Amino acid sequence: VRVRRPARLTTLGARLLRMRSALPSRGPENLQRPPLGPASRLGIPRPAMTAHSFALPVIIFTTFWGLIGIAGPWFVPKGPNRGVIITMLVATAVCCYLFWLIAILAQLNPLFGPQLKNETIWYVRFLWE
Amino acid sequence: MGSMFRSEEVALVQLFLPTAAAYTCVSRLGELGLVEFRDLNASVSAFQRRFVVDVRRCEELEKTFTFLQEEVQRAGLVLPPPEGRLPAPPPRDLLRIQEETERLAQELRDVRGNQQALRVQLHQLQLHAAVLGQGHSPQLAATHTYGASERTPLLQAPGGPHQDLRVNFVAGAVEPHKAPALERLLWRACRGFLIASFRELERPLEHPVTGEPATWMTFLISYWGEQIGQKIRKITDCFHCHIFPFLEQEEARRAALQQQSQELQEVLGETERFLSQVLGRVQQLLPPAQVQVRKMKAVYLALNQCSMSTTHKCLIAETWCAARDLPALQEALRDSSMEEGVSAVAHRIPSRDMPPTLIRTNRFTASFQGIVDAYGVGRYQEVNPAPYTIVTFPFLFAVMFGDVGHGLLMFLFALAMVLAENRPAMKAAQNEIWQTFFGGRYLLLLMGLFSVYTGFIYNECFSRASSIFPSGWSVAAMANQSGWSDAFLAQHTMLTLDPNVTGVFLGPYPFGIDPIWSLAANHLSFLNSFKMKMSVILGVVHMAFGVVLGVFNHMHFGQRHRLLLETLPELTFLLGLFGYLVFLVIYKWLRVSATNAASAPSILIHFINMFLFSHSPTNRPLYPRQEVVQAMLVVLALAMVPVLLLGTPLHLLHRHRRRRRRPTGRKQEDKAGLLGLPDASVNCWGSDEEKAGGLEDEQEAEEPTVNVQVESFHRRTQPVHRHCSQETCLSSIPRRSLGPLAVGHRQPLTQFLSL
Repeated sequence: VRVRRPARLTTLGARLLRMRSALPSRGPENLQRPPLGPASRLGIPRPAMTAHSFALPVIIFTTFWGLIGIAGPWFVPKGPNRGVIITMLVATAVCCYLFWLIAILAQLNPLFGPQLKNETIWYVRFLWE
Repeated sequence: MGSMFRSEEVALVQLFLPTAAAYTCVSRLGELGLVEFRDLNASVSAFQRRFVVDVRRCEELEKTFTFLQEEVQRAGLVLPPPEGRLPAPPPRDLLRIQEETERLAQELRDVRGNQQALRVQLHQLQLHAAVLGQGHSPQLAATHTYGASERTPLLQAPGGPHQDLRVNFVAGAVEPHKAPALERLLWRACRGFLIASFRELERPLEHPVTGEPATWMTFLISYWGEQIGQKIRKITDCFHCHIFPFLEQEEARRAALQQQSQELQEVLGETERFLSQVLGRVQQLLPPAQVQVRKMKAVYLALNQCSMSTTHKCLIAETWCAARDLPALQEALRDSSMEEGVSAVAHRIPSRDMPPTLIRTNRFTASFQGIVDAYGVGRYQEVNPAPYTIVTFPFLFAVMFGDVGHGLLMFLFALAMVLAENRPAMKAAQNEIWQTFFGGRYLLLLMGLFSVYTGFIYNECFSRASSIFPSGWSVAAMANQSGWSDAFLAQHTMLTLDPNVTGVFLGPYPFGIDPIWSLAANHLSFLNSFKMKMSVILGVVHMAFGVVLGVFNHMHFGQRHRLLLETLPELTFLLGLFGYLVFLVIYKWLRVSATNAASAPSILIHFINMFLFSHSPTNRPLYPRQEVVQAMLVVLALAMVPVLLLGTPLHLLHRHRRRRRRPTGRKQEDKAGLLGLPDASVNCWGSDEEKAGGLEDEQEAEEPTVNVQVESFHRRTQPVHRHCSQETCLSSIPRRSLGPLAVGHRQPLTQFLSL
């Protein structure tokens, strides 16, 4: 049976801790921060956390693959390969759209979240927000 | 959808070729690659056919060609590939080609023989010169010193009566690895009566036959006594040594030898120059002659498959020809027979056999059609799955591969091959591995392209995730709301974000998998579940598509009953069970959220219970009345199984019985009509296997066995394959130059492959 030792700070963690103490203390008042995080005091550019909508990507991608799969076949020039090209367009549109749809549906209502290491949590917390 | 949707219409065409023009017509047809001959003389052995003599002559010529080719390769030269269009020569030219090749072969043999002899001679001379030139000085010096008169005995003979003791010499050369053995044997056999000295030559000489350099050992044996001399001769014979006469007047001898060897070398030089000339002529003559003779042989083999008409004026051939090419066929026949002043005729006849499957492809579609044909060639006019595989094969590969960086590398490699595909260096490469890659360049191109797309969805570029969009999971919100102070974090190595906490999960990542998962320790838990469900969905979609493709077959062949008896039950079975599973998956994705994650229903348990008609109390239902719905679906699906197994056979049995009950007069009439067809194919009583299952309304059709129907269920997504034709001559346009080879190919008549 492995005995769990208490986690120790690595050098990275220690550095982050020092950085953290340089900042003003974060208390419960920070909870009222809007999801769009403010610019970091340290001037490090990082992506802001945004709420992702579901409807907008669905509309965009449905339109995109719909154009390729439904409207595209009308523009294929006449020739001996017309049938093959139309087949390819429709099949590509269906396969790729379905694949993207499955990916986004699987993440729509997650039942559990990611399990992160404490260092990752430190890092992400300070450098992504 | 062009010609790739289903195979082309192929007609049975009967050709009447007047004997005078038969050869040219068949040669012309071979060049065009329009037809495939049927063997009308299947019962006749190869040795009894009409044109066996001509075929034999061609084969003799080919033997000579092989000999010439070997000689050219032995000389280290390369045969250039044949250039230009080389049609099969008319029969009278065969004699000319035969004479030329015979002459060249004879010359080559003579010259080679001469060269060998000269080289052996030269070798001997060189050895001789070397032996004489070797300074075996101590021995000679001894003789000179002591041998004022050759009669002086070397030894103080105790007896005195040995008056004729003379020193004799044996000089020669022996191969270096035999020298020690020779020395030892000489010493053991003639000890005391000889003095042998062995010296190695300074420079190696070439072996006349093999050309390997070998450093010979020269020896000089001085002995006295006749018997010793005989013994020495025998021993040296045994060791295959070259013995040369040894005289004291060396210098003149050596000069003579030098001159001789010089002359010989000049002659040898001339011979070799002549040899290279002959080889040059062979190089010029051989490649086109090889192609021509091969074509001629193919034409005769094709002619062997034709039967002679009763008046012996005409050859009758039966060929399969694409209906689209019939005008071209007639024009070709007309043109080639016009030269002889006769006219060849082609007309279409109805056939009972299933025609071969013909699908025209270009260099892009050829590789995909090849992959599909490897699983089995489709029946005549069956729906061809190849155009769909152009996308689905690379797509399914990409689902498994899924990396932007690696996909991009694959795409660029394939793009390089595609852009350089017309360079002659590409096609001439002999490396098999390279040929495999080059042949599949379009497949690799598409696989790379789709892999880039799926790599973006999986969010993997060289196995690293990238945040194109900001992540939908907020660590800060979780940390703040759960009170994750630094001390708390220092104590716990692993912490999980909880989507139930407000603000932690901000929405699904718009394109692909969220990058936070690449940082997570439990990313496999999420990804495995996602990928398994994705595989099920993709698989069910593909299978349903395959079943739907079968509908086109049933409509085309006029087998409407199969729509009701096969397609509908199959769709019910598939969608009722696995389509329902897909429904469960999507329903759970949409309706079950983190709020009741602890009691989230397990689809796997539900699915198992569905088949076992059991119930797990801990697993809550996804929707009300779920058990009732599932029970109904299982019963319905299981009820479809006997319909699938027995539906079509019973229907056909019923139809067969109904036809039998019709008045017999009608049956006789049909039979007579069949036999009395004026244009009936000479070879219409082909294999039974080919006819069975082809057309449903055969008079004497046996009822199909249940086995066929069971297999047909499994074969829904793949076309039924029966080998009616192997590489029809039109499978790809770039193979025109090998048209005659396909013309002469014999088509196996009976090949019924079952899965």
